[in-house]
Amino acid sequence: MDEVSTIAGKVQRVKDHWPGILAIILTLIAWHCYAIFLIRNRFLLPGPVDVFFAFIALLQKGVLLSDFRVSLIHFAIGLGGALLIGIPIGIVMGWNSRMDAFLNPIIEILRPIPPLAWIPFAIIWFGFTPVSAGFVIFMGAVFPILINTYTGFRGVSRIFVEAGRMLGCTRTRDQIRYIAFPAALPSVISGIRIATGVGWMCLVAAELFGVSNNGLGKDLWFFYDLHQMDSVVVYMILLGLIGLVIDMIFRYYIEGRFLKWRTGEVA
Amino acid sequence: MRIEAIALIAIALLLLTAGCTQPSGTTPTTAAPVKDLRIGYQPSTHQMAEITAMEKGWWQQDLAPLGVGNVSDKVFPSGPPEMAAMQAGELDVAYVGAAPVLTALATGLDARIVAGVNTQGSDLVVRNDLDYTGPQSLKGTTIATFPAGSIQDTVLKDWLTRNNLTPDKDVFIKGMAPGDAVTAIIAGKVEGIFLPTPSPSTVVNQGKGKIVVHSGEMYPNHTCCVLVVSGKLIREHPEIVRQIIATNDRAVAWNKLNRDEAAEIYAKKTSANVTDVKASLSEWDGDWASDPNVIVSPVLDYATIQYNLGYIKKPLTKEEIFDLTFYQKS
Repeated sequence: MDEVSTIAGKVQRVKDHWPGILAIILTLIAWHCYAIFLIRNRFLLPGPVDVFFAFIALLQKGVLLSDFRVSLIHFAIGLGGALLIGIPIGIVMGWNSRMDAFLNPIIEILRPIPPLAWIPFAIIWFGFTPVSAGFVIFMGAVFPILINTYTGFRGVSRIFVEAGRMLGCTRTRDQIRYIAFPAALPSVISGIRIATGVGWMCLVAAELFGVSNNGLGKDLWFFYDLHQMDSVVVYMILLGLIGLVIDMIFRYYIEGRFLKWRTGEVA
Repeated sequence: MRIEAIALIAIALLLLTAGCTQPSGTTPTTAAPVKDLRIGYQPSTHQMAEITAMEKGWWQQDLAPLGVGNVSDKVFPSGPPEMAAMQAGELDVAYVGAAPVLTALATGLDARIVAGVNTQGSDLVVRNDLDYTGPQSLKGTTIATFPAGSIQDTVLKDWLTRNNLTPDKDVFIKGMAPGDAVTAIIAGKVEGIFLPTPSPSTVVNQGKGKIVVHSGEMYPNHTCCVLVVSGKLIREHPEIVRQIIATNDRAVAWNKLNRDEAAEIYAKKTSANVTDVKASLSEWDGDWASDPNVIVSPVLDYATIQYNLGYIKKPLTKEEIFDLTFYQKS
């Protein structure tokens, strides 16, 4: 009976994912048809078969794993820095209105500057090092974290804080630690999730200016310079898939672990 | 079932459209006049002839009688993106290093080298605090140069290898745009740069480095920039191709006789410092030369080097790279 229900569950899961699988298959067929019959130029649009063989060739060369490792280091430096800087500043601005008034103009001037505009200073300050790539990613990731932390803290109900005081939680540090931070956590975590997406998107530009000899972004540009567009597409797809995995980790692990108490609030 | 039905209809329509549409490579029966001739170039004194001819209006003047409506030019930071633009059909003519042409030809670019532009003309500049006594002094250093597949990248890596230094192991090569490379050495973030003129003079004039090797010492008489014309223009308008070479020669002759004025025109167009440009013209080891016959052998050598570096997947033949008929007829 258990086996029957397991098989039924598997069939149901396939049925649930069927539209998505169909969409991927159709996209591949459409891509192949356009590349082969319409465009007929591997430089303008390499087909999925070309891309598959380019992927195999890259696997045989053994560069993909080192590219992935180096890119993750750059990403970790950028996101780690964004967490270390963005969350404390967001907390300070969200908790203290004087600090908010003091820091807000600076943040609002810096925030719209595109992360890529920082590349010249990344070279000058950090040279051609992983920190330089991390800095560009940091500039993309820090503001979503900072702003969402700030918004989360500004949105904490005064009743929570006053109730805490009534129950003896009088030190500011404790009020932030035990009352405001948990209440602001949904907003902070969605800020981090946005930041991971933005940071990952900055990776290709961050590796454009020769910070390392490997990296997904670095080799994407390398093969572009050699006009091998099938390999460029391999790196584009890998960047998309890894970005998806990072987002899924957030969606299913981080939110499931830290925001479990919210289950049932909406859905 | 509805999604599947819509999807199948979409596929059927797609195949129908694909089958009925004329492929992009189909040749028209008569050659249409050239409304806009698009020329690509880079901000280097190697390609001053293009800038002089454009700023003096010679392109327009010489090509209008052949039916060319307008001549426009577009600047690129280095050869690889310029060749990508040509491969995407955005350029008809390109002043570009010979090496990026080869990687583009190896991946299907419909074009040929019809003339030379210059030989040599790049310099290795190292920081003043580096005691350079020979190639081995570069061990453990980082050199900024043009991206992979460029002339500078190819010549530098070949020279290092011939001097028993493994690129990216003994000497770290960082590919980038010339502006980034100059910024990097001025900021002290790399030990050296290997770039075409006038960038080396910019660094020297700021007191941030010294020229230690000319590219002609690395590879005597090596080809640098060449004149590339699209296959479409070659097939449909050979008379325009011949005139392009003639106008290039006219500009080269004028540049040689009027160096200071040519430097000022160049500096105005590229926003370069005119002192740096004049200095680079007096100290470069290069020469403007349009005869393509003398560059056949070095360019075929580049093709071999690029094949050995794994930049191109098959060796290219002389016929796949050159069309020498236009120069002979001009």
